[in-house]
This record gives sequence, C-alpha cells and structure tokens, in this order.
Amino acid sequence: FTEMPTDNFVESSFWNFDALFQPQQHPARDQHDTFFLQDPAEAVELPPGYAAKVKKVHAQGGYGSQGYKYDWRAEEARKNLLRTHTTSASARALYRLARQEKFTPVKYFSIDRVFRNESLDATHLAEFHQVEGVVADRGLTLGHLMGTLRQFFTKMGITQLRFKPAYNPYTEPSMEVFSYHEGLKKWVEVGNSGVFRP
Amino acid sequence: MPTVSVKRDLLFQALGRTYTDEEFDELCFEFGLELDEITSEKEIIIKEKGEGRAKGASDTVLYKIDVPANRYDLLCLEGLVRGLQVFKERINLPRYEKIIPAPGEGQKLIITEETVQVRPHAVAAVLRNITFTKERYDSFIDLQEKLHQNICRKRALVAIGTHDLDTMSGPFTFTAKAPSKIKFKPLNQTQEYTASQIMDLYRTDSHLRHYLHLIENKPLYPVIYDNNGVVLSMPPIINGDHTKINLNTRNVFVECTGTDITKAKIVLDIIVTMFSEYCEKPFSVEAVEVVYPNGKTHVYPELAYRKEKVKPELINKKIGISETPSSLAKLLTRMCLKSQVIGNGNNLEIEIPPTRADVIHACDIIEDAAIAYGYNNIQMTVPKTYTIANQLPLNKLTELLRLDLAAAGFTEALTFALCSQEDIADKLGMDISATKAVHIANPKTAEFQVARTTLLPGLLKTIAANRKMPLPLKLFEISDIVVKDPNTDVGARNYRHFCAVYYNKSPGFEIIHGLLDRVMQILEVPPNEENGYTIKAAEGSAFFPGRCAEVFAKGQSVGKLGVLHPDVITKFELTMPCSVLEINIEPFV
Repeated sequence: FTEMPTDNFVESSFWNFDALFQPQQHPARDQHDTFFLQDPAEAVELPPGYAAKVKKVHAQGGYGSQGYKYDWRAEEARKNLLRTHTTSASARALYRLARQEKFTPVKYFSIDRVFRNESLDATHLAEFHQVEGVVADRGLTLGHLMGTLRQFFTKMGITQLRFKPAYNPYTEPSMEVFSYHEGLKKWVEVGNSGVFRP
Repeated sequence: MPTVSVKRDLLFQALGRTYTDEEFDELCFEFGLELDEITSEKEIIIKEKGEGRAKGASDTVLYKIDVPANRYDLLCLEGLVRGLQVFKERINLPRYEKIIPAPGEGQKLIITEETVQVRPHAVAAVLRNITFTKERYDSFIDLQEKLHQNICRKRALVAIGTHDLDTMSGPFTFTAKAPSKIKFKPLNQTQEYTASQIMDLYRTDSHLRHYLHLIENKPLYPVIYDNNGVVLSMPPIINGDHTKINLNTRNVFVECTGTDITKAKIVLDIIVTMFSEYCEKPFSVEAVEVVYPNGKTHVYPELAYRKEKVKPELINKKIGISETPSSLAKLLTRMCLKSQVIGNGNNLEIEIPPTRADVIHACDIIEDAAIAYGYNNIQMTVPKTYTIANQLPLNKLTELLRLDLAAAGFTEALTFALCSQEDIADKLGMDISATKAVHIANPKTAEFQVARTTLLPGLLKTIAANRKMPLPLKLFEISDIVVKDPNTDVGARNYRHFCAVYYNKSPGFEIIHGLLDRVMQILEVPPNEENGYTIKAAEGSAFFPGRCAEVFAKGQSVGKLGVLHPDVITKFELTMPCSVLEINIEPFV
C-alpha cells in the first residue's frame, strides 16, 4: 500500500462532502458536527470540469444513478472546513489517478488527523486520527474487501470479525466491522468500509 | 443514525413471535440495524431526572433501534415489522395502491401564487376508513416527528400536517397571507390568536421555538384553509385545533408543504404507505388532486414503482458470490425489492417500491442482495492487485527523525492542532493578524478557535500539565501546523514542523543548540553557509533579547531557536527558564 499525501487539514466542502456524494442538506454538514472556517472562509477554486460533473450527479443523476434531485450550489461546496475524514484525501488521490493517461491498479493508505465539532468526553475528542485504505482495480468484489480487512486486522491481533450492513453516502455496499472484545465481553465496532459508488 | 423507540412486546406481537434479546440483536445485525439500548420509560426518566421523578412511569420494555440514515421506511414500528417480516419471508411484500376517486368526489388542494416566495410546494393524500388505537396513534405522531428531524431537516425542507377529514370540507387552499390577517385556534389552545401572536406564544416553547425562524421574517406566512375558512395549519409551525386527529378519527387528510418537492413527495409516500395498513382496504391510499397557480394539476401521492434491470452476473461479480438468477431474485424480494428473472434467464427485473426511495443506483440493489445473502456468508478473498508499497517521503523523514530525537534524550509529545487565539499570538507577544492563522467559525469552546501556526504552545501547555515530573523536561513534537496560503486551492496549507523544548533551572541554550547540530548532522546538512546551515542572531517577540537566533538552510530561513522570554514563560503558567527550537523540516525531505 502506498501512502497518500494528507498534509492538508483545511479542506473545501467540495472534496470533503460533495465529491463523496454527500448531499448538501445532509445533517453532517451542519454547524454541530463540522468545523467551518471563518478565515479563509471559501476555497479559492474548485476543479472546473469535475465540479460540473459532481453538480450534475447530485442534481440529476448520472452513471446509472437517479441522483438526489435537488439544486446543487457551488457556494456551498466552496465552504472551507477542517476535514471530518481522511476520505477527502482519498477522493483527491482517486481524482489524480483518474487523470492519468493509463489506468494502473493502486493501493493507497493514510494515517492522519481529522476534526469533528464535538464536546470532549471519555470516548470523544474534537481531533483524532483515522487510518484509511483504498484499493482500486478491475474486478474487485465485496469478498475482496472483507478479505483485505481480515488480513489487516489479523496483523494487529484481532481475529474474531463480523461484518454488518451499514450506510455511507459514498459507498454502497457498506459494512461496519465488528470484533469481539474479550475484556468487555461484547462485539465492538472497529471499522467502517465499503465499495465506492460508481 | 436515527433511533426508533419501540415497545418490545408490541414489536413481538406484530412479528408473530417472541425473541430473546440476543436473538433479536442477531436479527438486527443481519438486516443492518443496531439494537442500541434496551430500556424502559422509567429507566429513561431515572437517568435524566433522577429516581424521584420516575414514579408512575411505565415499566414496559423499550427497544431502541438504530436505523440507517437513508432508510425512511424503517422509522416506525409498522415499517420495521414489515421489513423484517418480508426479510424472514413470513409475509409477502404488500402492494401499495393509489385509488383515484370518481371525478367530483375526490379532494382538491389548490396552491395560490403567494406561496412561491415562502413555501412553494405542497402534496397531499387521504387515508380512508382508518382505525386508530392508542399505539397506532402514538406511532403515527412519532413517525411525523422522526421524518421532520431527518429528511425534512427540522421542518425546513418539508413540514407534515395531518387532519381529520370529517371536521373540514374541501376544496382546500394553500396560500400565504400577512401575519396579521391569519387568525385561528392553534392545536391544544383554548382561544384564537393571530399569526404574530402565535409567534410570540411559542417563543418559549421548548419544542416549537426552533421552527419560528423559518417563516418569522417573511412578509407573508403560509397557511392552509378549507372551503369554509377553517385553518388546517400554518406550516411549518403548528396545526389548527379544529382539525386535530383523535382516536376516533376515520378519515385522515395528510398534507406536506415545503421548499423541496422531491423530499415532499418521498415524505408523503412514506407516511401513507406505512399507515395505510390500518385502512379498511389495507395498503390503499386515496389520491388528492393538487392544482397549481398556473392551472396545471397533478395527482398525489405518486406511489411510483420504478423498474430497473440488472444482470445477475454483475451482482455475483460485485459481491464475490455465485448464485443462480432465480435465487438472486428471491434474495432481492426478501429485501422488499420484488424481482423476477426475465429474458432467457440472463437478466433480472427489479421493481423498486415507493418505500425504498434510497435505491437510486444498481449498486444499491447489489448491496441489498449481499445483505439478504448474509455478509458473513461471503467468502473472503484477497485481491490479486499487484502493487509496490511506498511511504510518503515527508512521513518517512518524520519517522526517522522521531527515533533519533528520542535517542537524543527527548520525549515525544502529541498535542492538539487546534488552540485559542491567545496561545499563538498574545502569549507569544505577537499580533494575531501577523500569524496568518486559519480561524474557525463555529468553535464549541475558546480552546478551539484557530489552527496552530506553531507547535510551541502545545508543548508549553504539556509542560505546564506535567510540572510535578522531575527536571529537566525535554519534549519534542514533529507535526503539522496550518497557515493561510493564497496559492493553494483551498487557501491554506500544512507545514511539517519540528519543535523541541528544554525546561530546567537554567535555560540550556547550549543544549537546544546542540540538538539542532545533531539534527542537521543526521540530515547530512553541513554547518556552512553555501550548501548547509547557519544561524544568525535575530530578534523574536517570544524570545529573550540577545538570546535568539534564526536558522538558515537550503537558501531560506527555516526557523528559530533561543531562550524564551520570561513573559511568555509566565503566560503559559510556567516558572523556570526554557529554551526552544522550532524549524520547518519540509525543505529537508
């Protein structure tokens, strides 16, 4: 797995949400969950051709999808924020991959800081780290995803795994990964995963 | 994830069997739900308000079930039961029918053009001959609230109103009027109020005050009247008392008004599909004609059944299983997506019901097939993708430096990237505008107002929290700082900084200088001016005058080192001398 560059805490809503098919009216884009920036408040530029494609898929659908059918606004996508997940860096990396002349299969990873506007308590911090991995190739299946995750967790000593259907705006199918914690004597969520939507 | 609270015994009664808690948890897991909590009303009150207030509260066991955010059809007991029963193949998928009344007999909702400025869209439907019990009624109200909170975005996009059809007479008019001209008795009140008075009345209401702002400053407020001038409701605030529903109501008029027509249609479809179960003719909904200002009409609810064709091999391929087309059809039908094999057995036609507005692409269908198959039944394989691994050079350098710095006797710290404005400016003797810092618009506390432009405050705060540790305290951190940069597409960028702090009875400038020399030695940067590094005496507002130097390397200034000014030390609540080194390591990658 090759490491992706993630050295930008400041991200635009476009890469953090819109490019990941998270609708502009989604609750996670609320003031309560995301740190929006006062200064610089807006991104200087969005990738022009790509932004138009994203707008169309949200508003009308495309690539086989019905879309969300609402008015997509560029001003909303311009809003700067502190990234809420490193998936925005994955989106940028995949965009760069798409612009390569010839497609090459890749495996990317990153481990970096993310920010969520939450009150601090025993299990929540406003900034924490996420480990992220992406595999891009032809003919990948859900079984491959599960196998890769199992290998990953086995290396860390976690072997009892179960997969549960979940929902992310940008992946379908999505799975939450649960592992049995001997100490707590119950199944706890150790990860989230999915196959990116076409 | 929205949480639905259902009474356990009612749930089991509707499901036709009882489960142990573990069995039900397992069922939820399979289906994609999460049994979050098993509690009772009494326990909830005890937790929130204390033992004393819980007297007389119900002991009935409540299941709190977490439902995926895109499944509006699972937000009430009726929907959950239906979904689970079809999943377990105990019932067949109901067919939702739209009944178009004979001309002249159906209800009409007329929209006037005044609504365009404030709340342009409206849809409506009728539930005929419905029978309510206390539980069904509570569930009906709960579903409206859940939908309001989720898809309706707290009533901003769509607001729902339900009315007793027998207390009013159509045709109904949805219009907008000046607040002073609207007068009616709101739900559960004893007298009539004008709209402006209603705004004041509910300003302190813990539930409704959050919605007042949606129409408060508009010149015209939305309002729905019946043929005799009786007010049905003033969306999105409150319904009229006259048309309120009770347990004896037999015919319900459902209306949804809002600013997003797609969501309004989905919300209407969900409400009528869920509760038409209790109509005399189950799963049938009477249509209402909506007349637009330009004269065009449209019949609602849409209750659209959409058909999509997906090839079985695609489903098998994407999941990594190999099922026959007919078994795939069966799996999908279990997920409320009625399917059949067509063509020569090499294609599947899937019918997407109005309750599954979340299915917008073939991949949604593929996911449902996988869920029905059982995620944990899929064979796990590793992709044959052959790639060569690489570490990002900047991170590789960081990792190497960290080890060597620890070997030099310094302890690593990991601190927050967000801090207060004072931390990076006033406490260091600088002005905030000179720092080019990134400011946050909505911090929850003052501790998270800006993103740090220097690692120093974090380390100093760490020392302050560890005053009781033996001296000297030698800390370092290699991490990102954030500054504004007009050359990037977002307007800011990260720089990887390295900062070391030495805190002891004597400042130890020579120690921090020695550390710099050691770091340069490891980085193989010679100590000369042409192609290496040098330090020159400099001034810094955070530093002791005459004890500060700037580090130059690779043709640019990369940072500073020196002894901290006593003011800085005091402002961070420290008492001893402190020497500091901070450089940007990106030029050395």
